[in-house]
Amino acid sequence: MTTTEPSLSEAGSAPAPGRRGTPALGAWLPTWNLITTKNLEIRKRRGLMITMVVLIVLPTVLVLGLRLLFHAVDPHSYGPAGTPALFSQLTNLMAEFGFIAAAALGAAAGTTDLSDGVFRHLVITGRSRLALYLARIPAGLAITIPLVALVFAMNCLVTSYQGTPSATSVGLYGVNVPEHLDQAGLQTWLLQHPQQAASGLPIGPVNTNAITPAQIRPVIEKNIASLYDNYVADEISGSNPAVNEMAKIGLWLELEVGIGFLVGLGLGSLTGQRTTTTIVLIALEIIVTPVLAHAQIPYFINGQRLVIGIAMDQLRPAALAPGTSAGGGGPGHVLFGGRGALGIPPMPTWAMISVIVGWIVGWSVIGAWRMMTRDA
Amino acid sequence: MNAIVAVPAGQHHIGFGVLLLAILVLGGLGWGATRLVGRTRSLRPLSPRTPSAEPAVPRPDPSQQSATEPALATPPRRAPASLPRPDGGWAVETHGLTKRFGPTVAVDGVELLVPRGSAFGYLGPNGAGKTTLIRTLLGLTKANAGTMSLLGTPVPADRRTALARVGAIVDEPRFHPHLTGRDNLRLLAAARGGDAGQRIDPSLARVGLADRAGDKVATYSMGMRQRLGVAACLLADPELLMLDEPMNGLDPAGMHEMRAMIASLADEGRTVVLSSHLLDEVERTCDAVAIVDHGRVIRQGPIDELIRGAGAMVVEVDCAEPVRAKQLIDEAGIAAGTALAHTGLTVTLPAGASREAVADLNRRLVRAEIDVYGLREVQTSLEDWFLSVTSRLGEAS
Repeated sequence: MTTTEPSLSEAGSAPAPGRRGTPALGAWLPTWNLITTKNLEIRKRRGLMITMVVLIVLPTVLVLGLRLLFHAVDPHSYGPAGTPALFSQLTNLMAEFGFIAAAALGAAAGTTDLSDGVFRHLVITGRSRLALYLARIPAGLAITIPLVALVFAMNCLVTSYQGTPSATSVGLYGVNVPEHLDQAGLQTWLLQHPQQAASGLPIGPVNTNAITPAQIRPVIEKNIASLYDNYVADEISGSNPAVNEMAKIGLWLELEVGIGFLVGLGLGSLTGQRTTTTIVLIALEIIVTPVLAHAQIPYFINGQRLVIGIAMDQLRPAALAPGTSAGGGGPGHVLFGGRGALGIPPMPTWAMISVIVGWIVGWSVIGAWRMMTRDA
Repeated sequence: MNAIVAVPAGQHHIGFGVLLLAILVLGGLGWGATRLVGRTRSLRPLSPRTPSAEPAVPRPDPSQQSATEPALATPPRRAPASLPRPDGGWAVETHGLTKRFGPTVAVDGVELLVPRGSAFGYLGPNGAGKTTLIRTLLGLTKANAGTMSLLGTPVPADRRTALARVGAIVDEPRFHPHLTGRDNLRLLAAARGGDAGQRIDPSLARVGLADRAGDKVATYSMGMRQRLGVAACLLADPELLMLDEPMNGLDPAGMHEMRAMIASLADEGRTVVLSSHLLDEVERTCDAVAIVDHGRVIRQGPIDELIRGAGAMVVEVDCAEPVRAKQLIDEAGIAAGTALAHTGLTVTLPAGASREAVADLNRRLVRAEIDVYGLREVQTSLEDWFLSVTSRLGEAS
């Protein structure tokens, strides 16, 4: 302490003891003040916020910004900035990096009170430890959700307004088929246009000049499933997602990032180790999940399905998951427009929901329990 | 697009993984809910420690203690329960409080009574269990046995009510370094709730940090962090302050200011419990003290009374002919011991001697026609007393 510092013994205005009632402590619900100050504590971590921006914002802004610039400078050489494929790639990238960034944020939120030595101060206040834990959830989500929403909105805007004109038909093996058909609709259209179908589709040796609907019907009925798979894949790759599809994708993206944060928070609270938690969750996201999602381990498929990334891949919206020829994934209406990006057979919808809810609730309970029982 | 997923046959039955998932989810939820409900209920009171119920716990090996720590083996346990209950009640009251870490007993059946409105020193060498006791009282760690109350409120049963009126610094005060001092206090005030937020600025002003409140804590000196810690305590408008080694890391000027700060807080009627291994610090600041070692309270009470009852009175005699004076006193048998000193001699009167013994000593010297220039009673310091207590205990072992 230097002598320039003011004296401790200066008369102050601290109130005298014992003149006020006991504050309403003990409620397990966090107060608004507690949430906002915790949010402040997280936001003020400059390194963490830079990491968030680099992982979530920078890739999309950089790619779209450069494409917009190039197209503006030389529109003949460079096409429109937004394409359906680029939209899908950027969103998938945001999901991967967003999960990692959110997990790092959750790990920080779950451990920094401990590592900074503030946890004991907080406990001494008498506030419920459960309330202290629960305050971290909205405090952290208030950072990740707007950030992801902002970047995703940019992606949507560029795709919608600076993208390629949406096709009015789907080029299925060179045959121009109207878009937005379901499987029955496709089948009907093909039967109504037997010559085009016979000339373009890989349905075997037939006389294309004299073919009739009756002749081609058994062939189409036999192959309609695989034809529809390819039709959907072609439609997705050639068309910008509709607004409702974008909304679904946005919700899925927020769920993915939110889960990353909650798992990071729970695991961080459990271990008390920020670095370890972050590394484990990065490994889960970029190593374990891709391996388990694309390779079926004999007699362990139900074990694979317990991994959160598998369930979230199955829920992945159609526009982000072009059909896969291998495995049981591929096109299909699983839930909320999801169609899966799995290389393994999908699980029942109730099981997928259980896995997702189980990870959210399970890790939150574990984190809260550890915080309530830990020595401060 | 209303396609149907082609699910291979046999994939929809409830397989091993799904069953395992259900068990994990349901089991985890049930277990977690049980824990949460258990925590939100009133925590069960700790059972009082009884000798017969106390499991055999290996005591720390005294030979493993630091050479600087006095060897205190099996000290007699003082039961302060016989102390008269003060009008305001006890600020801190513990009975048989015990905290173990594996085989090590950090707090061993502590019986502690801290009167309200006092500046109370909790004195002991490093590793004596001072911090552990405070951590246990504050609910930072669970006790293994015993009962305790803060400001008359039992803890941990009603910990939240008790802590609403308690401010504490445990170990060194640490804060989020990337936040300003004011933001750190905002965080703590939000956790406290009530009108704690309105006390941020007065508290910062009180500890002299108003001008630096907008700076990041990372730029604070150790002394400033200590003062910020005190400011954090003041957010509670505390009736009880528990300060664990508040002088650690402070330079002499900082110690002086902290001492004045503590004194002013005590003068306001707040109870201040000061944990320290610095004898001099406790003696200067506190009016009552408990001596702790190996997790046990071995003496407690007002410092004056403890020192007065500690043992012999020592008198420095400034006189002519000190050799003859020594011989005279030795022959009279009125002193427990005499020793020649630079300007006279030092006379140690027997334990329990009154001031009349000093007058008698003077009369005998004057009658023997020895010129006496002065008699001065040597005040026994807390350090002397502490050492006498500990050495006696060492001999007892």
